[in-house]
Amino acid sequence: MDKPVIEVQHLSVTFNGRTVLSDLNFTLREGEIAALLGPNGSGKTTLIRTVLGLVPYRGRVLIYGRPVQDALRNIGYVPQKFEFDRTVPITVGEFLRMPFPRISRRKILRVLHEVDLKDYEDRPMGPLSGGQMQRVLMARSLVNDPSLLLLDEATSEVDTAGAKSFYEIISHLRTVHRTTVVLVSHEIQMVYKFADQIVCLNRDLICFGRPKEAITKEVLEKLYGKEVHFKEHQH
Amino acid sequence: MQRALVAGILLAGLLAYLGVLVLIRKMAFFSDGIAHASLAGVAAGVLAGVNPLVTALAASIFFAVAMFVLEKKTNLSSDIVIGLIFTSGMALGVLLMSMKAGYQPELIGFLFGNILTINRSDLALMIVLTFVIGSFLAANWRRFTLLSLDHEMAYLSGMNPDLFQLVLYVLLAVSVVLGIKILGVILVSALLIIPVSISKLISRSFKRLVFLSIGFSEVIMVLGLLISSQFDFPPGAVIVLTGTAIFFVTLLLRRA
Repeated sequence: MDKPVIEVQHLSVTFNGRTVLSDLNFTLREGEIAALLGPNGSGKTTLIRTVLGLVPYRGRVLIYGRPVQDALRNIGYVPQKFEFDRTVPITVGEFLRMPFPRISRRKILRVLHEVDLKDYEDRPMGPLSGGQMQRVLMARSLVNDPSLLLLDEATSEVDTAGAKSFYEIISHLRTVHRTTVVLVSHEIQMVYKFADQIVCLNRDLICFGRPKEAITKEVLEKLYGKEVHFKEHQH
Repeated sequence: MQRALVAGILLAGLLAYLGVLVLIRKMAFFSDGIAHASLAGVAAGVLAGVNPLVTALAASIFFAVAMFVLEKKTNLSSDIVIGLIFTSGMALGVLLMSMKAGYQPELIGFLFGNILTINRSDLALMIVLTFVIGSFLAANWRRFTLLSLDHEMAYLSGMNPDLFQLVLYVLLAVSVVLGIKILGVILVSALLIIPVSISKLISRSFKRLVFLSIGFSEVIMVLGLLISSQFDFPPGAVIVLTGTAIFFVTLLLRRA
């Protein structure tokens, strides 16, 4: 069996006395793509940030069997919101190199190529569109060859083609490098196609398992209400 | 004048680089607050008969740590905390000054800057501290820049962002107070803000922003000191106005 990458045991998070996550338990293993599903405010972003060690919590979270602080260099992360002052003059290449000073130029060019920003190394960050900015963040999450990728709505501002190519990159990373990926997404069709595990959240853990078993009519109703339907496409 | 030039050239480079971080983190009010609050230290030094630069440095470190702790431990926003320290430090300074009777030229020198009051021990202190802070910043410039650009990414890269933030506050506070002898409490933050503002007008990359800021800062300092000595004008005011003039000329040239 593949070794566990993320182990979450009796995890609870409260903000100002309000419970945001309640007694979560699950394990994700090496090479798995796991999708976090749930309505707005269900705790998906909080879970990602807790796994990263950015939020205080009760319970136990282990990355590769160790506290997250010992595993940070193996993690790539794309945040849901990136507050960046667009008036600061900094090029895409400088931005990508800043956290990883020893990364080669070839590597920078390769990740930019992967996210379809081939000629952007010397372009200033300021004028980039929301989608391009998100691609830069994707590139940054890939630049140090992470063995664990945490993506919080990484494709929310990217067009359909861009999102598809990003899921293909993720799928490729999993196949070739055994990268473990946790992603928050509202694109259920895409998630159904690419994910190995589904983690459904609505403060509590509503479901956990393979998409075919986990995404049921009852689960979707529990998450999003009775109006939401999902139709599996057969390809 | 020689001492002022040496001190000015050293400090101009240091404050210019710190100015880049101030710009990214939007901390202009922080440096202003520290400079004004350090008046308490100046007044304490004058009252106790100790070198006021030393007591102002001690006060600035205390206030920087206090700002950091208040920001972390309360739900008060950064500008409110700075406002609190700014006014409290000034108030303490005014209170301490009132305890010493008569005209105090040293105090006025600190308020508006006076290069003639830079003595040998001040210069030695400035050189040593500028060298130490400059070396530390040069060795860690990537960390400080990352911290200023993206706090979460700084954490993910393995840094302790809180520790580096505290260190940045202290280094900034000390550097600002070192500049007080030349520019005065009221004008010192101009040297953090003006060079980087000029550079930002004509920079597309971060590297260019840093190098141009340092370059403009040195030009502003040397030109300002030379003009002020030539016409016997107050150096702090002339340095700031030289910077302002270069800013507007650059702005006009850029638009042309």
